[in-house]
Amino acid sequence: MSSTTLERGAQTHPDIPSYGKVNVDILRILSRPGKIWWLLFGLAVAGVGLLGYSWANQLISGIGLTGLNTPVSWGVYITSFVFWVGIAHSGTLISAILFLFRAKWRQSIYRAAEAMTVFAVMTAGLFPIIHLGRAWHAYWLFPYPNERLLWPNFRSPLVWDVFAVTTYFTVSSLFFLLGLIPDIAAARDQAERGSLRHRVYQLVSFGWRGTDRQWHHFGKAYLYLAALATPLVLSVHSVVSWDFAMSIVPGWHATIFAPYFVAGAIFSGIAMVITLMVPIRKAFGLEAYLTTKHFDAMAKLCLVTGLIVSYAYITEFFMAWYSGEDPERHAFWNRAFGDYWWATWTMLTCNILIPVLLWFKRVRHSIAALFVISIFVNIGMWFERFVIIVTSLSQEYMPFAWGNYRPSTTEMGIMVGSFAWFGMWFLLFVRLLPPVAIAEIKEVLPAPLRPRAGAEAAR
Amino acid sequence: MSEGIKRRDFLRAAGVTGAGAGLVGCSTEQVEKLIPYVTAPEEITPGVATWYSTVCGECSSGCGVWVKTREGRAIKLEGNPNHPISGGALCARGQSALQGLYDPDRLTSPMLRGADGYEPIPWEEAESLLLAGVRDAGPSVALVSRKAGPTLARLEDELMAGTGGQRIEYDAASEAPLREAARIVFGSNAIPTFDFLSAGIVFSFGADFLGSWVSPVEHTRGFATASAAEEGGGKSPFVFIGPRLSLTGQNADEWVPVAPGAEALVALAVANVIAREGGDAGSYADLLQAYGPETVSAQVGLPVETIEDLAARFVAEGPGLAVGPGIAAQGANATAANVAVLLLNAVGGAVGQTLRPWDGHLSAAASPAAGLAGVIDSMAGGEIQALILHNVNPAYTLPPGFGFSEALASVPFSVAITDRLDETAVQADLVLPDRHFLESWGDSNPRPGLWALQQPAMQPVPHFDSRAGGDILLGLAAGLGQDPGAADYQEYLRSAWSEIHAGLASEEPFETFWRRALRDGVVELPAEEAAGGELQAPDRAMSFEAPELEGEGLALIVYPSDRFGDGRSANRPWLQELADPVSKIAWHSWIEIHPETAAELGVSSGDVARVTSPNGEVEVPVWTYPGIRRDAAALAMGGGHTSFGRYADGRGANPMTLLPPALEQTSGGLVHLATRVTIEPTGEHRGLASIEGASDQRHRPIAPAVELEALLGGEIHEEEHAELYELQAVGGFVPVEAEEGIPEAYPLEGARYGEYDPQAPRWAMTIDLDKCTGCSACITACQSENNVATVGEDQVRMGRDLAWIRLERFYETVDADIPGPVDIRFLPMLCQHCGNAPCEPVCPVYAAYHTPDGLNAQVYNRCVGTRYCANNCPYKVRVFNWFNFSDVPEPLNWQYNPDVTVRSGGVMEKCSFCVQRIRQAENRATLEGRSVEDGDVVPACQQGCPAEAIVFGNIRDPASRVAQLSASDRTYRVLDVLINTQPAVNYLRKVTLHAVEDIHV
Repeated sequence: MSSTTLERGAQTHPDIPSYGKVNVDILRILSRPGKIWWLLFGLAVAGVGLLGYSWANQLISGIGLTGLNTPVSWGVYITSFVFWVGIAHSGTLISAILFLFRAKWRQSIYRAAEAMTVFAVMTAGLFPIIHLGRAWHAYWLFPYPNERLLWPNFRSPLVWDVFAVTTYFTVSSLFFLLGLIPDIAAARDQAERGSLRHRVYQLVSFGWRGTDRQWHHFGKAYLYLAALATPLVLSVHSVVSWDFAMSIVPGWHATIFAPYFVAGAIFSGIAMVITLMVPIRKAFGLEAYLTTKHFDAMAKLCLVTGLIVSYAYITEFFMAWYSGEDPERHAFWNRAFGDYWWATWTMLTCNILIPVLLWFKRVRHSIAALFVISIFVNIGMWFERFVIIVTSLSQEYMPFAWGNYRPSTTEMGIMVGSFAWFGMWFLLFVRLLPPVAIAEIKEVLPAPLRPRAGAEAAR
Repeated sequence: MSEGIKRRDFLRAAGVTGAGAGLVGCSTEQVEKLIPYVTAPEEITPGVATWYSTVCGECSSGCGVWVKTREGRAIKLEGNPNHPISGGALCARGQSALQGLYDPDRLTSPMLRGADGYEPIPWEEAESLLLAGVRDAGPSVALVSRKAGPTLARLEDELMAGTGGQRIEYDAASEAPLREAARIVFGSNAIPTFDFLSAGIVFSFGADFLGSWVSPVEHTRGFATASAAEEGGGKSPFVFIGPRLSLTGQNADEWVPVAPGAEALVALAVANVIAREGGDAGSYADLLQAYGPETVSAQVGLPVETIEDLAARFVAEGPGLAVGPGIAAQGANATAANVAVLLLNAVGGAVGQTLRPWDGHLSAAASPAAGLAGVIDSMAGGEIQALILHNVNPAYTLPPGFGFSEALASVPFSVAITDRLDETAVQADLVLPDRHFLESWGDSNPRPGLWALQQPAMQPVPHFDSRAGGDILLGLAAGLGQDPGAADYQEYLRSAWSEIHAGLASEEPFETFWRRALRDGVVELPAEEAAGGELQAPDRAMSFEAPELEGEGLALIVYPSDRFGDGRSANRPWLQELADPVSKIAWHSWIEIHPETAAELGVSSGDVARVTSPNGEVEVPVWTYPGIRRDAAALAMGGGHTSFGRYADGRGANPMTLLPPALEQTSGGLVHLATRVTIEPTGEHRGLASIEGASDQRHRPIAPAVELEALLGGEIHEEEHAELYELQAVGGFVPVEAEEGIPEAYPLEGARYGEYDPQAPRWAMTIDLDKCTGCSACITACQSENNVATVGEDQVRMGRDLAWIRLERFYETVDADIPGPVDIRFLPMLCQHCGNAPCEPVCPVYAAYHTPDGLNAQVYNRCVGTRYCANNCPYKVRVFNWFNFSDVPEPLNWQYNPDVTVRSGGVMEKCSFCVQRIRQAENRATLEGRSVEDGDVVPACQQGCPAEAIVFGNIRDPASRVAQLSASDRTYRVLDVLINTQPAVNYLRKVTLHAVEDIHV
């Protein structure tokens, strides 16, 4: 008896009795949604409507519907772009890097994290187009052959961005869809034959039957894609950071930006995973799958990246002071004590002070506390990008040209709409695709051995 | 001057020959077709500009202009270089005349007031109504017009003489007290000519001679040249004595902040000291006795040493020139104050050197408001049966206490000849649309012996069924049975000019003379005997003491706007959008008060305040300004229109409503400095539509200065010159020789962007900050040349103005409490066309790229609007079309320059160095089989700059002016030391007379 308890305690998922239970628990989620889901989905669709309306308005009237100006010609849109690209990072980190490192706690969360990645990139990708003065010419940034022999400027970080984001979207979607195949097959097998759902799952599961040969190929493909996706985790956000670091704007032009942004991306991404996982766990009764161990691990990752981000903040301020140049020093003075002091202090509070709580095991083991902290981190990381972009631009080299920016209702509408857009896809995802990886959970469960007779008798 | 005309200039400024042929064929039906001319007029080549000489009618300075027309439409005004007043430059108001011509709010036909508003009527009916009205009135008719050209004035005088009625001249911003003072002191009948060029030291007792006073363009040219440090030469000091630093005051080297109205006493005290030290005060010696420096010092609170120092320097550094006090300081002692200043000139030996009473400025507006006040009395008394108002707007420009509007209502028949339903016309019975000066004939006689013809530069804008005022009045004269001797005004003008020609007794036939006058735009007659200038005995007792002001609170300074004058040019988007040279505010009025006064009153910049005088109140945002005394508040004229047009109505406040109906006793001029106002917050905060971010350059290498002594002593750092010579030699950035791997080695050979075709020119510019007065004429010139759109008040408030030049203004030293040095720096900031441009590599689509001749080009139709270039531009000179700002109401779109793309929404734009002019000069040179010579390319800003501060050219040519100026000790490049952008714009530091902080550039 006691030995069994010990054995169970050493397991990742001590409360999952059998393989069969996994199928039942997870595939149950893919059922007809209830009122709350429909309510949330309705809100999300309404939010997407707001996005569409605001954007249409902006396309018709002009980008002037934003609050942007000279000197602050990037604002909420680019802030949101970087925010969403950042969110997208932890999914691949969890699914690819942790896969390669054989971190067992990734199994329960990676599916949702990967979905989050894909949808976050889809959201992020909207913003560079939305923010253009002439969005209808956005395709000019792609190197397509044309009779005028015009190519994009490969020296521009914005062109690198195009490559980085499209590559990341392609690889992360492929990785996501590949990992889904065995689980979709499970869903297919469970779905009513001939139903639409069955036919779609049949299509997407690519004839998966779970043979040895298929598992062999699947394992190889998954490993290679994981290896391919891993450098992207580091490179994509580095490239995004170069949008800033390659410029000469005081407050942007810093060599620390690439690692600083990557750490920030993982920090915010993990926080977003926590934010999403807590309600899913609650709503679908997945306590056995998402245990405090998982949250503890995520919280630790959050803590580590949070510390890197804090270090980067301190370094930025130090280097500004150490540079001895007034434009650089003033940019950071302005950050802390200028017109946008509130944004900076929100950022510092949310990203440095509040994550300090994660040092405490009690906090890491409290799902409610983690949920609240993760939301603060999300807010803090959105403000981090806002602070970097807006405060730096507002007071650059020429004091006479300084100016402030206030986001307009159109911008706020599109920003809120982007969350709805993301939420809409995610809500569809949890009801249509297995949000927890069925096959991989089974990998970490103890093999289903025949129970010993004595034990049987004791029961 | 005519012998100075170059051959190319001759070709450019084609004269109008013959009566009808001069008006080139152009009407809407024609121009809407692609090839408008089936039978093309001889002098029109599609795609090639035709230039006409004429006279600017915006203010009464009488600047000669060249009008550039393309396919029969006027598209640009430039100063006529042959004209001694404008000297080739033009102010912002002059540049904006185009928007007066194409103003969409001009009247489209004669209007008759009916029971419910105005109805359009045909011209025949309008003219017969006019004739009947005036005929019925008999001698009880009055004609009020503003300062007009000599021939039009003669016509008006003759017309009124024929009816037995009276003609009154009325100008809202009038120098009547100065003219009266000149009569008293020198016995002359005109405002003297002030020669700033010859002045060794200048005192301004408040006159805004660079912005709005008498002849700003002429003054700016003279002042900028005299007060700018030449290499190895001196610099004329300029002391501003007055309560508020106007645009002119901001250019001063020293500021003696005296209370409003106290200028006269200071001038007398200075004159007293000079007289005491041996100056000849003539018949005024006794008068001066009473104003010793000790007495005045006690009265005005100024140290005796300051007065004595001023006096000593006026003589020692002379020839001195004292001017003022100007319209803003016209108090109840205005004539006396002008007498005091003229006396200072006389005692200080300026007469004949820098001040020429006999060579007076004849065209200056100097009519006393008393004339109109008399007419108003007659109107109210029922003595006027018919009133003709020609181009005057007293309902707006006179303080309401005069009762003009009430009196007008009691006149049985009133006619307004004007171009719009302005505040006055809207009360008249009959309104006749006048023509713009670019559509009509006229002449000007700005000073003795100097005559200029105003010829139509284009056919009347077809949207407006207008007639020239002269033709209307001629028709009236004929209808009344008078014999004016001409059928139309052009003929009348010709016959008037034939008299001038006859007076010349030259052998040149009249027709040749006339054509020469048209082509040159100016005729200089043999100089008359220089006479006058002797001091006349004072013919009456005058009070020089500062006038008592009514009411309580701060003394209200009401000054003519540098942009709108008395308000007549308020309906022009270019001028509304042009940031005021002093406050940097666009589109609305503001009340200026000292920051500490504001703190005491509990208001700050952008708060809406209620300004109350005993005569009225206005609500207007506060702008705090360290350049105004604590006991004063200032409000510009020109705002608060109620019926003037879509761009003017409801914008700002009209300060005239705060003034009492007071006339200055001696001259009959309107009293501007008359009242005190209380300022109280309304609780509303509106913010300012200002282009100013911060006015502190934070010791950055932006606008450094050098003290004159240090400059002459060669104390400027040498090391920067080596770089400049390199730039000059290769036209681009060359890395410093250093080992690879250390920071100075970058960018490495081959990796640099500034390396372009070594055969091509490297276009570059120098801007002499010691000459720049901040007048902002360059901005409007650029706007006109480059189709720069206007965005409106809200957009300016958001920081979205599109001006390609941002005239930055930094306060270095300003003290409103004690006399001392003042140092306010101007920096016209435009695209620097960097050799190592940060905007270029970041553009993802190559919309920002480098041309082989070193221009930083912007390809509008390639731009997708990422705005990264603007973020990465350290100079913040890139402006973005946040909306489609180019759609303007017909016919305002006629102003567009067909050589320059009109930008649509969503694209970035910026200064192009007038690339169209560069290409035009290159094409012309190619056609003529030569290379482009220095001076062939003149960008619009340089062309329009009255201070001649801007020079453009090929810096690779060592003989070019730009290369030579770049080699000056004063040359520096903004921010270059910080970020290595290698700009093509070289600034020459301002030179101060006091020690300044050394900013490393």
